[in-house]
Formats: sequence, structure tokens, C-alpha cells
Amino acid sequence: MFLRLLISGLVLGGIYSLIALGYSLIYKASGLMSFVQGDVMTLGAYLGLTFYRILGLPFVVSLILTVLCAFAFGMLLEKGVIRVLLNKNVLPIYVVLATIAISYIIQNGVQLGWGSITQYFPSVFSKSSVKVLSVSVQPEALLCVGASLVCMVLLHFFMTRTRFGTAMRAAAMDPTAAYSCGINVSMSTGITWGLSAGLAAIAGMLIGPMYGVYALLGSMIGSKGFSGAVIGGYGNMYGAMVGGILLGLAEVFVTGYISSTYKNLIAYILLITFLFLKPTGLFNERAIQDD
Amino acid sequence: MALLQLVDFHYYYGNIHSVKGIDLHVDEGEMVTLIGANGSGKTTTLQTISGLTRARGVRGKILFKGQEIQGKTGDKVAAMGILQALEGRHVFSKLTVEENLKTGAYLRKDMAKIREDIRDVYRRFPRLEERRSQLAGTLSGGEQQMLAIGRALMGRPKLLLLDEPSMGLAPLIVKEIFVAINDINREGTTILFVEQNSKIALATAKRGYVMQTGSIVIHDTCENLMNNEDIKRIYLGAS
Ligand SMILES: Nc1ncnc2c1ncn2[C@@H]1O[C@H](COP(=O)(O)OP(=O)(O)OP(=O)(O)O)[C@@H](O)[C@H]1O
Ligand SMILES: [Mg+2]
Repeated sequence: MFLRLLISGLVLGGIYSLIALGYSLIYKASGLMSFVQGDVMTLGAYLGLTFYRILGLPFVVSLILTVLCAFAFGMLLEKGVIRVLLNKNVLPIYVVLATIAISYIIQNGVQLGWGSITQYFPSVFSKSSVKVLSVSVQPEALLCVGASLVCMVLLHFFMTRTRFGTAMRAAAMDPTAAYSCGINVSMSTGITWGLSAGLAAIAGMLIGPMYGVYALLGSMIGSKGFSGAVIGGYGNMYGAMVGGILLGLAEVFVTGYISSTYKNLIAYILLITFLFLKPTGLFNERAIQDD
Repeated sequence: MALLQLVDFHYYYGNIHSVKGIDLHVDEGEMVTLIGANGSGKTTTLQTISGLTRARGVRGKILFKGQEIQGKTGDKVAAMGILQALEGRHVFSKLTVEENLKTGAYLRKDMAKIREDIRDVYRRFPRLEERRSQLAGTLSGGEQQMLAIGRALMGRPKLLLLDEPSMGLAPLIVKEIFVAINDINREGTTILFVEQNSKIALATAKRGYVMQTGSIVIHDTCENLMNNEDIKRIYLGAS
């Protein structure tokens, strides 16, 4: 029982982490909340489905194409909508409202494009189950856990060990100083939105084979990813990773040992508890306004 | 031809006319200061030269090596060799000292020379070397100022802009920093700096501009400015 729950918790947690990372990266770079993360995940799942099932491309190729499309989508969103609104000097809340509008546009758009019934995503592996110790699990579940962990490790190295990653962090910390160092902050912000969309799309493609693909796939997962980001410390990259995984584990263990009544409640109870008792999250991200 | 030249330069923050048509030039190799009371428009001028203010507020011309640069974004201006240590220091607080310096060399690809220049900054400011892996946000004010100047040097400036390097620092540290500024200029870097501390500014630079509510009211050699009765009374606090 424990091991089975642990694996499902990590599957879900990995997905929440990938979504949470997008929220936190965007918040750090733009000081905004983007409501589209969950729906970009849905879009990613549909794109993956198209490349993999409809066009019959290999899974890895489909994954790469999906990520590229999502990256372009995220970047276009920043350049074509967010930046345009910010240049009009509107209050940040209006930009956030615009992201809500886009979230609904995606939800309805995918139904126009792919129909409203749940689509089935063919399995990635030929085996339907593998044994881990004594428990048999779907190989797609292991892929999901493995791939999301690899994404997080790669992101960590990119952000801390590469020249461009460091520049992106610098741009998020202090845009004026970053410009003065020659960093194209506007480009770096766009890339952050692209990266966030790419991570969400990967989540969609990892979860598609297990959950099926439908228009509201990302709406619940998106809001839980958001909770994960808050639990970890909103804006903190490592907080998002840890917060998402902990949330996935909490959800699965509460469902398994207590009652499935709380399955969807636990994320929001934790969210509000953290907001009240520890708004800085697990990683102590700044949460209180300085006077 | 001057290295930097402002011709009838204005800056507007929306309807607020903050800089009201100034002319200013800096020749190759020179060290020039811009002094004036709070809110006279010094920072606005320096940041606009660096492309860090909104382009739509600029009127008039900013010429660098004879080429108009007003309206270019900050990264483009930095790429041309105009680098600035900003007012209030603006170090990247969650990057280490060394990461800050490397970020200052963001546009450069010559890894070996970058390492050499980092050593050079450490030679100039030994306290930074002792703290190379410390987060910049945990440095003292004086150390942050050294880092801000060091970071600007990492871009190999053709023109170095410094905005209030003495801000909020104890006299001893101010002295140390101005010794370094003097050295940087003597080793060949052209400098334009803004200061509230007029005494040390006029003692360090060769020429000075005095700004008052958006206009340049006097410009002369620092020697003459130091002996000007009005300047003495208003800016040097002499009786
Ligand atoms: N972002 C802004 N929006 C509106 N007005 C501004 C802005 N920044 C500066 N100003 C105004 O422009 C004028 C010049 O400000 P600036 O900061 O350039 O002065 P300064 O000479 O650098 O002053 P200090 O010595 O205090 O640093 C001031 O009246 C200031 O209130
Ligand atoms: Mg100023």
C-alpha cells in the first residue's frame, strides 16, 4: 500500500512541480501571476496527442515538438499580450485578468480544435505494467516521475551554471541593473514565459497517457500547481519543486489513509494554511511588503 | 570630437519636465563631474544616457563618438561601451560577488581576459576577493559600491558613468573609493560622475557642471568652481 501510494504521490507531485515552476518563474521575472499555466498543460497534452497518435511520430520527437510549440506560445503570449498591456501602463491586475481570459480561450479553443470528448492517448511503452519491488505500476508513471525530476535538475543547472541562466536570474532580480550590464531583459522575460509554458506542456504530455486528454485536464491541476508554488514560497524555484512534490504526496496519502473525500480539498486547505501561518513558504521567499 | 555630447537634451516623465535642455560634453580620457542639489535631474541625465529611462521622454541629442544614441535600449548602449554604476548600487543581491562580476562581462566572449579582469577588480578592491562567494546582498554599503564599480569595469567601459559613489558611506570609505576612481581614470578610462558630495567631486574631477532644477547653471574647470563664491556658499558649505 505505502509503496503504491508513494509512487502515485510522486507522479502527481512531479506534475504539480512542473506547473508550480511556471508560476514562480513568471512571478519572479514579471511580478505577475499568469493563470494560463494549467491550460498550457492541456494544450501540451493535445499537441502531444496530435504529434504522437495522429501524425504517428515517435514519443520523444513528439515531446520535443510539443515543447517547442509551447515555448513559442509562451513567448508570443508575453510579447504579444502581456508586454503590450504593460506598455500601456495598465495596473498589473489587468494583466492578470487578461491571463484569465486567455485561459478560457484555450479551454474553449481546444474543444473547437479537437472536439469535446476525452481523447485517448496511446500508451508509450509496449508493456502495460512493470514491477517495482513487489508492486506493479504503469511504466508511464515511472516515466512521469523520472522525466519531471530530470527537468528539475536540468533547470537547476541551466539557471545556476550557465551564463544565460544567471543572466535570466539577474534580470528577474533587478531589471535596471541587468540592462546596464548589457542583458536584453525584455528578451529574457519572454524566454521565461516560454520556458514556463514548455514545462507545463511537458507535464501535459507526461500525464496524458495516464489521465486521457480533455479540455479541463489542466484547470484543476493548474490550481493545485499554484498551491504547490505558494507552499514552497511563491517565486522560489526550489520552493516550487519541493512544494509541488509535497502536495502530490499529501494528496495521495490523505486519500489513501484517511478518505478520498479530501482528495481535492487538501491542496486548498494547505494553501490557505500557509498563507496565514507561513506566507513565505518552505523556502522563505519574501512575502511581506516592506514599508 | 567629444566622446560624449549632449545637445539641447530634455527629459520628461510624462508631463513633468525634469531636464530642461542641457548641453554637456566629455572628452576622451577626461574625468568630469555633474553636481547639484537633490532632484535637479542628475540621475535622470545619467540613466537616459545609458538607455535606462523610457525613450519616449527624451528630446534633443545624445551623441557617443558622434553617433546618436538617444532612444536605444540599455543593453544596446552597454554594448557600445557606456557602462554605469547606478545610484543606490543595484548589485544583484542573490548572486555572489563573483557572479555579479561575471554578469558585468555578460556581453564578452573572451573567457581568459574575463578571468584576468576579475583578478584586476580584486586587485583594486581586495575586500571583494575575500568575499568572492558571498551573496552580494549581504555586503556592507561600501563593499556593494566597490562591487557596482567593479561590475561596470567588467564590461570594459569606453565611458564609465558613476551615480553618487559616496552615497550613504562613511568618510574613510568614500576616500578609498575616490582613490580607486582616480586610478581608473589615470589608467585611461573616461569617467563622468554625479555627486552630492561636491567637495570631493570638485577635488577629483577636472571639469564640472552644476545642475539646478533641470538646467546647467555653471560649467567650468573644477579649480575655478572651487573658487567661485556662489559655489562655495551653496555647495561647499563655506562661511
Ligand atoms: N520615475 C519618475 N517619475 C516622475 N518623476 C521623476 C521620476 N524620477 C525622477 N523624477 C523627478 O525628476 C526630477 C529629477 O530627479 P533625479 O532623480 O534625476 O534627480 P537627482 O539630481 O539625481 O537627485 P538626487 O541627488 O536626489 O539623486 C525630480 O524632480 C524627480 O522628482
Ligand atoms: Mg540622483
